[in-house]
Amino acid sequence: MADREANIDLLFRNGLKELEVLPPVEAWDKIYPVVRRKQRPVIFLRSAALIAVLVSIGFLAYRWSQELTLLVQNPQIALGEESVKYQNNNATRLPLVNSSPELPAAESNVPVKVTSGNEIDSVTGENNINREVPDFITEYNPLVSERDLLFPLSTSPIIPFGKETNADKAGSLADESFEMPKARTDRWSVIAMASPTYYLSPVSGGDEISKQINSAEQSHISYSGGVGFAYQISDKLSVQSGLYYSSIGQQVGGINSFGGFMPFDYTKGDHNFEVMTSNGVVYTNNADIFLLDRTGDRVLTRYTNDVFDPAKANLSYISNSLYQNFGYLEMPLILRYKFIDRTIDFNVMGGLSYNLLINNSVYTTMDGNKYPVGKTAGLNQFMVSSSLGMGMEYSLSEKFSLNLEPTFRYYLNPFGLNTGTRTHPYSFGIFSGLSFKF
Amino acid sequence: MPDIKNIIKGCLAGNRRDQELLYRRHAAKLYAVCLQYSGNDEEARDILQEGFIKIFENLIFYKHEGSFEGWMRRIIVNTALEKYRSKHNLYRVDDIDLIPEPEADPENTDYSGLEAVDLLDIIRELPPKYRMVFNLYAIEGYSHKEIGKIINISEGTSKSNLARARIILQKKVNIYTGLNKKVISG
Repeated sequence: MADREANIDLLFRNGLKELEVLPPVEAWDKIYPVVRRKQRPVIFLRSAALIAVLVSIGFLAYRWSQELTLLVQNPQIALGEESVKYQNNNATRLPLVNSSPELPAAESNVPVKVTSGNEIDSVTGENNINREVPDFITEYNPLVSERDLLFPLSTSPIIPFGKETNADKAGSLADESFEMPKARTDRWSVIAMASPTYYLSPVSGGDEISKQINSAEQSHISYSGGVGFAYQISDKLSVQSGLYYSSIGQQVGGINSFGGFMPFDYTKGDHNFEVMTSNGVVYTNNADIFLLDRTGDRVLTRYTNDVFDPAKANLSYISNSLYQNFGYLEMPLILRYKFIDRTIDFNVMGGLSYNLLINNSVYTTMDGNKYPVGKTAGLNQFMVSSSLGMGMEYSLSEKFSLNLEPTFRYYLNPFGLNTGTRTHPYSFGIFSGLSFKF
Repeated sequence: MPDIKNIIKGCLAGNRRDQELLYRRHAAKLYAVCLQYSGNDEEARDILQEGFIKIFENLIFYKHEGSFEGWMRRIIVNTALEKYRSKHNLYRVDDIDLIPEPEADPENTDYSGLEAVDLLDIIRELPPKYRMVFNLYAIEGYSHKEIGKIINISEGTSKSNLARARIILQKKVNIYTGLNKKVISG
């Protein structure tokens, strides 16, 4: 019996194995070119963000080290009184006024160019004397102590000992040499910044629908930008606020949309389609759009496969993705601490942003044209996000400077709770812009 | 002739010509599978169309391991099963039907007069539940346990349906080959 059974099975298995039947010619015309684009792995984007941060830090560190080197090798350093020490001398410091112009050269065999004013009174030394020391002196001259290299060398003229000057009236020569308080009158600045932003809104639920949502959604075009102002509290610390617009985009994949549904709409009541997303439920308000989730159960509708076939109803295929777009008006309150104050400043920043929802739309696209679909329901109208970042500021002039700020942002409250899943999105963006001090 | 890898690459990039090339290359063979699982041509065409849409949508998951045709066939079969499930109100029944005794069948029958299209016609004449079980068991190689899970019937029902399908098929085959049937003796 087994042989006989296998015999009839084999007859059909082998007989049908190579069978080919040409399908109807029109069959291809109804196969819509739906292609699920390969989603960029999250790990890749996170790595890219990390690399961007590391490159920023590396670049700043490099510039900082370059600045230090330049400082050490500066050929036009005028030595101040405090910075000169004589070799083989019990006294560690000698005032320059006691040394003749030839003295350093005679003692160290290193030429020292003396650039003085018009005349030098060798007795009183009353004229200002500026010494230009070639860079090899600063490199090899033992007269220049290590301490001198670590602190900024004075470029002020050398004042003869015992001669009272205006500077002496204000304070000691040493004080003037090492603590040159730079007058900071520009405490306020206006900043215009913008950034492309990458958003992630992972769904925390472990059920089937959460998995479907997680696997199908990815960040779309998001950006943030606006104008702010900053107030310099101290040399290092400043506080910043302003008004920004933030557009958050998300692509919901695997939802097929069709046009031409209007004649069939209202046959089963309004609000025909609901789509579960991580941020809330999308309700359609465009009666001409038909939605279908071929791979999951995210679309809730009365028009199921059993009762409605878009192909048979001759609906026009539009796309296999929906796009959610949320617009927020942001008011940040950011504290910024500058820890490197050079030509390129380096600072860390952190704070909170208050976000007001002002735009909520869902659409689909075909050939670059947008087709409105509906809105996402149950969104939080007011959200708070925390920001952490670091930035660099390159001074173009006394007033203008360029800013670059890689910033990480975490939303403290979720976009919405409609899907039963709590979603705390976070984002990464690299803000760039221009600031003006006044 | 473009390599299949290049065609797949083109499909993934959304190239309509590559999609059509893939379709033209494999549609005939896959349409035969659709016919095998469906009772009428319209249903077979729907399975083919929906199946190809799924193929294009899921190409990114194809790992280039094993037969590409086999991979597409699985998608087509799954689409046919979905169609079957949606059309037939399935509820699990613990079928206690006895497996019918098969009719006496001559062994070593010469089926050389049967064309593949005849076999296709015969299998399509089966009632849907028998056709589905026979296809899954005899053609696709699923076990009764697996079939039970796939179409939500008990293992016993699957066995029973298979036995009935075989009896019907045997009868039909005998009718088709009746005129030129040759039984090789000994």
